[in-house]
Amino acid sequence: MRNRIIELLSAALPMVNLDSDFLFAELDSLGVTTILMVLSEEYGIVLDAKDATPRNLKTIDSIVRMVENKLAMK
Amino acid sequence: MSLEQRIEHFAKHTPDKAAVICGGETLSYSCLWERIRKRAQQLTEAGLCAGQPHFFLATQDADFIVTYCAVHLCDAVCVPLESSMPQERQQQIRDELNDKYSPPKGGRSVSDILYTTGTTGMAKGVMLSSEAWTANAENLIDRLGFSSELLFIVCGPLNHLGSLSKIYPTLMTGGTLYLLESLKDMSAFFSVFTLPFSRFATFLVPSSIRMLLQFARKELTAVAPKVEFIETGAAPISGHDMELLCQTLPHSRLYNTYASTETGIVCSYEFSKYGPQPGLLGTPMKHSRVRITEDGRVVCSGETVMSGYAGSPEATAQVLQNGEVYTSDIGSIDENGMLRLQGRMDDVINVGGYKVNPSDVEDAASAYGLIQDCICIPVPHIVLGTAPKLLYVPRQGQTIEPKNIADFLRGRIESYKIPLFYEAVDAIRRTYNGKLDRKAYLAHQQRKG
Repeated sequence: MRNRIIELLSAALPMVNLDSDFLFAELDSLGVTTILMVLSEEYGIVLDAKDATPRNLKTIDSIVRMVENKLAMK
Repeated sequence: MSLEQRIEHFAKHTPDKAAVICGGETLSYSCLWERIRKRAQQLTEAGLCAGQPHFFLATQDADFIVTYCAVHLCDAVCVPLESSMPQERQQQIRDELNDKYSPPKGGRSVSDILYTTGTTGMAKGVMLSSEAWTANAENLIDRLGFSSELLFIVCGPLNHLGSLSKIYPTLMTGGTLYLLESLKDMSAFFSVFTLPFSRFATFLVPSSIRMLLQFARKELTAVAPKVEFIETGAAPISGHDMELLCQTLPHSRLYNTYASTETGIVCSYEFSKYGPQPGLLGTPMKHSRVRITEDGRVVCSGETVMSGYAGSPEATAQVLQNGEVYTSDIGSIDENGMLRLQGRMDDVINVGGYKVNPSDVEDAASAYGLIQDCICIPVPHIVLGTAPKLLYVPRQGQTIEPKNIADFLRGRIESYKIPLFYEAVDAIRRTYNGKLDRKAYLAHQQRKG
């Protein structure tokens, strides 16, 4: 899943450094929206504005955890 | 009656009614009128004369409304500039306008010059008369139903027709404007609905509607009984988003409007009543007429159309002929007299409602020393619909970081024009006479889906 998320986000946000240890700081509102929409569409999960927290979007690994948690709740 | 005469009217008859709310500040009609009069006096004392352009930034606050109306009160010409416009570009516009602008001879006097990429994608100053504004306002009042009980939320840039045009019907009917910086802060948007008003309305571009439906559907459902109407426009909205919006706001009127700075506000389709149909934009409003040329081009006429491009009679003659504006849109009129859009004749890229002329991007990027050749093309974007992508050929032996190109472009072109995607290529395809072969790239993109 991690590789797939990197693949998806690299294509959607080529200007963002996905290796950053504080990814959230690199994102503008369009970037945050794009991540949530790409992941919602790929995994059929519901992500809303409340999920766009610095904790959830801190690194690629925290994004993977957020998706795993949402899938577990489905 | 002009906008300013209507504000003066309401300042006398409903002086305490809220006219503009922004950032915790509420201006009543009497207070707004007083500030407009004082500002007009200051501008006159500073030397502003009738017919003279007055440049100011389109800040999303009450002070913008005050200056806007005050300039009109001086019979001068408002030239609101995008607040993120680079200083260099601002100066260029001032110099160009001061050098070339002269009011059109005869006919209507100019009240505004709006710098927008508009329907042609070229950054030109569109001259609008106060009569055109009044006609736009009456079109909106008649079709969308503005009233004194309404609180209208403006969350788009006030130098663009989409948002600026809503000041008129709202304040001309004695309603209340709520100014937001943008829709970035959704909680700020929804907090407006806690104010003691019973009827709310707004204008949202399709990408904003998509964001609300995706991330705030619960919140939108919660405020649904208060939403009188939502108008969208400036870019195509998908049938899926229309349907979802109808389900979320089952009692609200939902409109898809056809408008541009050059044509004014022309048609609107109430998709909540007649059913979601992408591309369908309804019948012409009371002051507007639409026809389609033999080659499928949409031509608009009526009281709302522009007076021309400032300082550019040649450009005006290409678009405005015998009172008709020849747009770059391709469309048809169905058996019910409704306009249906089918595409565009030109290369303009619609980025979430902002029109980007790719040659503006290419000209700016070509000035970057390490780029030998480039082309800007539209690519699909999950939020914006389409976004600009720059294909570039680095000079021999050079490697370019896309971030460096973006940094270079920042400060040279408006932020919405900066490509989101970059790709280094070996060569840029050109036609036999050396022009960029845009059609080949578009066809390639369409094949990729």
